[in-house]
Amino acid sequence: MAKPLPPRGGHTLPLLAALGWSLLPLVWQLLTSLRTPEALVLQGPGAWLQGWTLANYRQVLQGDPPFWRYLLNSTLLGAASTALTLLLAIPAAYGLQRQRAALRGALSLLLLAAAMFPYVLLFLALLELARALGWGNQLLALALPYAGLSLPLAVLLLRAAFADLPPELEDAARLEGLNLWQRLRWVLLPLLTPAIASTAILVFLFSWNEYPIALTWISRSDLLTLPVAMARIAGSSVYAVPYGAFAAATVLGGLPLLGLVLLFQRQIVSGLTQGAVKG
Amino acid sequence: MPITLLLLLPALALVGGVFLWPLLRYGWLSLQASSVLTGLVPVPNGGANWQRLLADARFWQDAAQTLRFAGLSLALELLLGLAFALLLHRPLPRRGLVRALVLLPWALPTTVMALGWRWILNDPFGPLNGVLRSAGLPAYGFLSEPATTWVFTVLADVWKTTPFVALLLLAGLQAIPAELEEALRLEGAGPWQRLRRLTLPLLAPYLLLAALFRLAQALGVFDLIQVLTGGGPASSTESLALYAYLNAMRFLDFGYAATVMLGMFALLLALSALVLLVQGLRQRLQQARGLS
Amino acid sequence: MPAGSQLSRIGFGGRRLRALTAFLCTLALLACCGAGLAGLGSARPVEVSVLMPAPFADATAPLVAAFNREHRDLQIAVTRGPLDTEALSDLAISSLLLGDTPYDLLLMDVTWTPKYAAAGWLEPLEPLLGDHAMEGMAPGAQLGNAFGGHLWRLPLLADMGLIYWRTDLMAAAPRNLQELQATAADLQRRGVVPWGYVWQGRQYEGLSCVFLEVLRDFGGDWLRPGDSREAELDSPQAVAAAGWLAELVRSGVTPAAVANVSESESLQIFGAGEAAFMRNWPYAWAELQKPGSAVAGRVGVVSLGDGTQGSWGFSMLRGSDHPQQAAAVMRWFTGEPTSRELALRYGYTPVWQSLLDDATLQAQLPLLPVLRQALERTALRPLTPLYAQLSDVVQRQLSALITGADSAQTAMAEAQRQSELILRAAAPAA
Repeated sequence: MAKPLPPRGGHTLPLLAALGWSLLPLVWQLLTSLRTPEALVLQGPGAWLQGWTLANYRQVLQGDPPFWRYLLNSTLLGAASTALTLLLAIPAAYGLQRQRAALRGALSLLLLAAAMFPYVLLFLALLELARALGWGNQLLALALPYAGLSLPLAVLLLRAAFADLPPELEDAARLEGLNLWQRLRWVLLPLLTPAIASTAILVFLFSWNEYPIALTWISRSDLLTLPVAMARIAGSSVYAVPYGAFAAATVLGGLPLLGLVLLFQRQIVSGLTQGAVKG
Repeated sequence: MPITLLLLLPALALVGGVFLWPLLRYGWLSLQASSVLTGLVPVPNGGANWQRLLADARFWQDAAQTLRFAGLSLALELLLGLAFALLLHRPLPRRGLVRALVLLPWALPTTVMALGWRWILNDPFGPLNGVLRSAGLPAYGFLSEPATTWVFTVLADVWKTTPFVALLLLAGLQAIPAELEEALRLEGAGPWQRLRRLTLPLLAPYLLLAALFRLAQALGVFDLIQVLTGGGPASSTESLALYAYLNAMRFLDFGYAATVMLGMFALLLALSALVLLVQGLRQRLQQARGLS
Repeated sequence: MPAGSQLSRIGFGGRRLRALTAFLCTLALLACCGAGLAGLGSARPVEVSVLMPAPFADATAPLVAAFNREHRDLQIAVTRGPLDTEALSDLAISSLLLGDTPYDLLLMDVTWTPKYAAAGWLEPLEPLLGDHAMEGMAPGAQLGNAFGGHLWRLPLLADMGLIYWRTDLMAAAPRNLQELQATAADLQRRGVVPWGYVWQGRQYEGLSCVFLEVLRDFGGDWLRPGDSREAELDSPQAVAAAGWLAELVRSGVTPAAVANVSESESLQIFGAGEAAFMRNWPYAWAELQKPGSAVAGRVGVVSLGDGTQGSWGFSMLRGSDHPQQAAAVMRWFTGEPTSRELALRYGYTPVWQSLLDDATLQAQLPLLPVLRQALERTALRPLTPLYAQLSDVVQRQLSALITGADSAQTAMAEAQRQSELILRAAAPAA
């Protein structure tokens, strides 16, 4: 397990560059969200002195159902998808790693192939499945296709993480008389926490941002996930593009995400400083 | 059945259900004529759709454009992603917050940020043109010049997905034992040497994984293009996924749409096989060099 | 302890227990039946489900709420669709493909109707609404709703392409496109405005709308009139029309940025005062009069020639459980009282000739006389299930043309060739 490296200087510039790259467009979204549509096209020196408004936020927050409802739906669905994916992926990764090389290679290739099909094209066939099984308009039913779409990446990632663990570790545990479940729970999984956390974030974010499947499986307003609800933010006519309102929704939708990712970061860091295998 | 295989079954079952069914269905559909002209009733037409695909100049043009998009996107993402991962791996002040902020672009829905980018790149009112103007330069049609619009779609894509690659590579970096890095440093190896001799080789499987995944995702680019340019100008940014979508949802030609999708998938498989082949060859070359 | 043995202790022995059970069961059965009958008798409200784009849903929400309050037996449930109209079509098509759609009515664009009808998704309306449902509607608004011997759609509003001009920069509105071009070039040359004329040049449906208007002005047409199986895109008029648009960009009267300009961007440019002329739909008028607009009060609107018709109307989806009630809701939505409200509050173009002629309405809506005149004749985009493919061909060629590709001659020849391929494929089935 990697120990924290001693602090070294000389990373201020790259850090600022990285932060600038990631944040400038978002800062621009924040600014756009506080401007009236007319102010967006203002040019010249006086442009930034006028046109500030909270109307965009009002429009987004005063919708029916309220905005926090969409955040709640997305969070619930994200948690369910992540839980289901990890539940299936961890044993699968362990099992995959323990296979003979030939079978392992073949299965890995299959999983890779599965993961490569652009999922946006799957939505039509998946919709048929949903209707046939009566899963339309049920929020948590979405967790199944989401888990299915995330599993290939999750399994492959976790398998690589399992592969990085020294085999003596598990042998030692087996000699001590621990059965499979105990070995997983007490020995292997704690060492995999960073990889699990990274995988969990990826799955959660995929589920959070997914659009075409959520659009077609759910039409009840109170069950909408965030991206689908955002697509319904309307301007005054079919031709108007409500840049301001969209920007406001981006900001509002991004803040809880920022909080969540922040929380997750602590997990990773604590996972790093946990006791490591010596030698 | 050994327990290890049993552990695999639930996951494989779900993956199979989600991927196998659509593939089979599209395979069947690609052998039918199913469009408004048949009243959406599938009528077997042998390989007519496939013949049409092979002769379809637009399919191949879109394939080339999609490959171009994916290639540049992938190259930039791997470079930037590695740089970010190395940066985030260090003990920075407030590392958690920095990581979260750097990862934020990935966290936002594509369609919404694509709209944001459409505004940022707007000619003449967007901020990028504002920057150009204040520098005394003329405004540029980022999304209206056929020769260069695709580059800016890559920009929007790279901005969003670099954090994904960075996260993947970060997971790999965390698996590298720090003692090895310490040992190399004590030997006197500089940062570039450490990168070349230790980090990159150990990171190779993660790099390959990231490359393959991003390649597949980039080849399937759809919402970004649809919102930014709608496939224009002069059809220069139309991607294969957009073409498939047009056939399915606008033209209601489901037989041909299924064929285009499977054609896409075949191209993807061929490309991945190529990448893996090259990777395998390189590994064998390295082993041979190592032995000699 | 099992209930049976307890009961027997209190004295409920075998036969009495059975009798009591039977009595209770009968009571329960009667209760259920009673509830069921009561439900039937008290006419549970029929709910008609409507899918419409979000802006329309928002605009009609107060009227729908009022309707629902007044009618106890009939309720309208509006589903707000995505803002983007193509996404709305996706949603509708997805639910239709599976045969069991939750919607009764769909508010749709005029160009979708033949496609949906050919796919068998729409219910013909004449049996429910009679043969004169559109009597009293403006001629331009009636187009695109009835074909193949059936009425498929009732229009809610009928827009058309209009030319917006700056009243402070010229004495009068241009009388034709050539005058427009000359005035625009002149104003631009004198440095009065950066750009002469903005229109929708992005590679999307809007470009087809713009092209059709210019095509009609030059005397050409998309499909041969009277024969919907022959395209006329390589006629000298079509080449001239395409060439005219390309020349606008080449000469700089229209900014090259127009290659990614849709309605909202063109409105932004004109609304910021950066162009002398704009082509757009009627909605832009209200937007331009808003307080923040740089040109409020200095905008005139005129209809030059046949504007491309863009209308939104209700169709009934086949398989609706209550077609009669859905038809009633449709008639209410498109009826004169509702149309008047929507016109007054949101500036929706009414389709009823009586409303267009109404003097009081004209006094309150300054745009109405222009709309009335424009709705006498509109240009309808080809009414064929293959319209999406035909429009796609034209969009591709025109976008290539206005971004500098060869000549109008080759572009239109290619458009014609591809259109012929598409139409020929349909010939056997037609």
